[in-house]
Amino acid sequence: MREIFVTGAAAVTPLGRDLETTATRLAAGESAVAEVPASEAGERKGAAYAARIATFTTEPEMPKAKARRLDRASQFAVVAVTRGLAEAGWTMAGHEEETGILLGTGSAGASPLVELERQMAVESPESASPFLFPCTVANAPASVAAIELKIKGPNVTITQKDPAGLNALFYGRLLIDDERAKAIVVGAVDEWNLTYQLAYERLRILKTATMPGYVLSEGCSVVLLEDGASARARGARPWARLAGAASAGSPVSPQTRRARPEEIAATIRAALADAGLPASRVGLVHASANGVPWIDAAEEAALADVFGAAPRVDRIKLQIGENPCSGALQLALAARALRDEPGLGAVLVNSLGAGGNQIAVVLTAP
Amino acid sequence: MLDRTVVVTGLGAVSSLGNDLASTWAGLVAGRSGIGPITLFDASGFRTKLAAEVRQMPDPGVSPRLLRRLSRTDVIGLTAAREALADSGLDLEREDLGRIGVVLGGGVSGLLDSENYFRDLLEKGPKGARPTRFLNHPPDQTTDRIAEVWGLLGPRATITTACSSSSTSLGYASDLIRAGLADVVVTGGADTFARLTHGGFNSLRAADSEPCRPFDRGRKGLTIGEASGILVFEEEGRARRRGATIRARFLGYGLTSDAHHMTQPEPSGEACARTMRACLKSARLNPGDVDYVNAHGTATVQNDPAETLSIKLALGERAREICISSNKSMLGHCLCSAGAIEAVATVRTIETGIVPPTISYVEPDPDCDLDVVPNVAREADVRIALSNSFAFGGNSTVVAFGRA
Repeated sequence: MREIFVTGAAAVTPLGRDLETTATRLAAGESAVAEVPASEAGERKGAAYAARIATFTTEPEMPKAKARRLDRASQFAVVAVTRGLAEAGWTMAGHEEETGILLGTGSAGASPLVELERQMAVESPESASPFLFPCTVANAPASVAAIELKIKGPNVTITQKDPAGLNALFYGRLLIDDERAKAIVVGAVDEWNLTYQLAYERLRILKTATMPGYVLSEGCSVVLLEDGASARARGARPWARLAGAASAGSPVSPQTRRARPEEIAATIRAALADAGLPASRVGLVHASANGVPWIDAAEEAALADVFGAAPRVDRIKLQIGENPCSGALQLALAARALRDEPGLGAVLVNSLGAGGNQIAVVLTAP
Repeated sequence: MLDRTVVVTGLGAVSSLGNDLASTWAGLVAGRSGIGPITLFDASGFRTKLAAEVRQMPDPGVSPRLLRRLSRTDVIGLTAAREALADSGLDLEREDLGRIGVVLGGGVSGLLDSENYFRDLLEKGPKGARPTRFLNHPPDQTTDRIAEVWGLLGPRATITTACSSSSTSLGYASDLIRAGLADVVVTGGADTFARLTHGGFNSLRAADSEPCRPFDRGRKGLTIGEASGILVFEEEGRARRRGATIRARFLGYGLTSDAHHMTQPEPSGEACARTMRACLKSARLNPGDVDYVNAHGTATVQNDPAETLSIKLALGERAREICISSNKSMLGHCLCSAGAIEAVATVRTIETGIVPPTISYVEPDPDCDLDVVPNVAREADVRIALSNSFAFGGNSTVVAFGRA
């Protein structure tokens, strides 16, 4: 594999409109998880929770008037991608065809889809909005960002549940290695939607006042993967090096999270082997831990198996909720930690998803 | 990237023309249309009332308990995967399942069920809506179901880039093999029909009230279809060592972004020509090597002339020496599985030397003046073929196959 660096990152999250604010508030132990009030969701037996972005503006990256035509997830993406490229010092002009974008998502298009369904059901079959329809497809945020920023290299959206952001990195690495682009924005984008929240609540997979579970999140986080030679040639200051990754599946129902410690450990070991690193070099783990007790326990057991006395473990999904965008935020935070904490060694980001998907990524200091 | 090469050792198909590869291919060669009246929901309120539906759900060969949980997309995806795996001759009991991945294109997934959930919510409130109808909503369900049924443990991904989804999935699958991250990947796509897609294309005035007529002067838009096309990609060395029948070689792909408009193709044709050129570069081909192009050919007013220009720009003089055709004239536009079912047809074209026609073709359009194989299939010596997929959002993918 070619040498690949992370040369920039950005985040739009429920804890901040930028990565620094988000990282600082996470480190301070703040949580974005809040009750979804009955005034929004109607009467039900137990309180439910979500990690939502309360107020958001696309300015200064995009004028409000222009943003009004975009769906919520696309607005997040335009801001995060614009800032990510800026953080990396990557200039689009003259490099359009060398630049790609790969975003994962679990919920992009949810609100336009629900609204379009309402229009057809309540108003008339022919009343579907032609402006909303393209936004119902999960590729809208990446494509809107590509159109806005003139990104003309590979453009892909991956919908593989919670590891989708890491999957974007996994594929992006292959595309750079194959010289299809010199720099690729990888990450994930999601939007919170009440109809989806209520459906998942009733399926009893989300946290409530009386039951543990995970909490839906929203936002967009990205990192810029860049070919090592390209980064050196332009004098970029890399945040981190993409050292290794592994992707595996377990044969279970799409709604099930397989949580066998030995399978989780095997994927983590494969990522470390790909990086050529012993477990002892890892100074920080971004765990997949999301508040579902039996999944978290299995991951803890796997980490103990791989690392023994485990290194520092951050479990940010307990503070910021879970969706593919959260895994992408972990990538951004991992790169930031390697930029700012000399001697950290390596950072492992682990992601487990329903349906038995697992991806582990290892970043090291550049 | 390691210097490993990728071959096709298995094919499977379910479409409006039939519930297996043989019937689908026979329908394409015969120039038979799979388009008919919509039966999956009440379409009386829509301007257009046609689709290329899979008329009878096939048996995916799973337990009754699992069958009850499957979406329509899962059923056709599993059926096509079963056929493709059987066709490959792989003995999964003797394979390292950790080296077998699944990469599909998908989008609609269980939306037809979700729509019923949404409607019940609106009409009856939460107590009248069964949330289990929402379970199959995520686009990656079929990918996970295939891995579940055959116990596949390798890398997994689902691509959702609208109409190019499953062509891109072929590219990702091939890269996994070329990079040594998998030896076999079950790839392609599955997608089915829903009110949302029908209503959406109607709202854009992009759907024809008559069966679609790609490249015809009187074309007025697309007809939506349903299909699953599954290909078993395998590293060539191991495929040859185990004596597999190699149907074709996957030579490479182009993957680019138009960065032009969410729903309109770039009219000069240059954007998609760039994708075709990227495919040729990836496959180490020259324009003169190409014998056939399985066109995107949606029959929208905008796509067909733009695609014609793209082919001319990318292939130069060769564009007028070869034929192109649109499977969508028979299969409809199968959206996230379009690239997959058309890749299956492209492989069969290379194998058989028969180019399926573009049917419903009546009047030539001077802006679509390439040889589109009007109405009747044709024999041709096709050694190398491209298949174009151009999507909403400017997600463009072109794949290349070659004779084994």
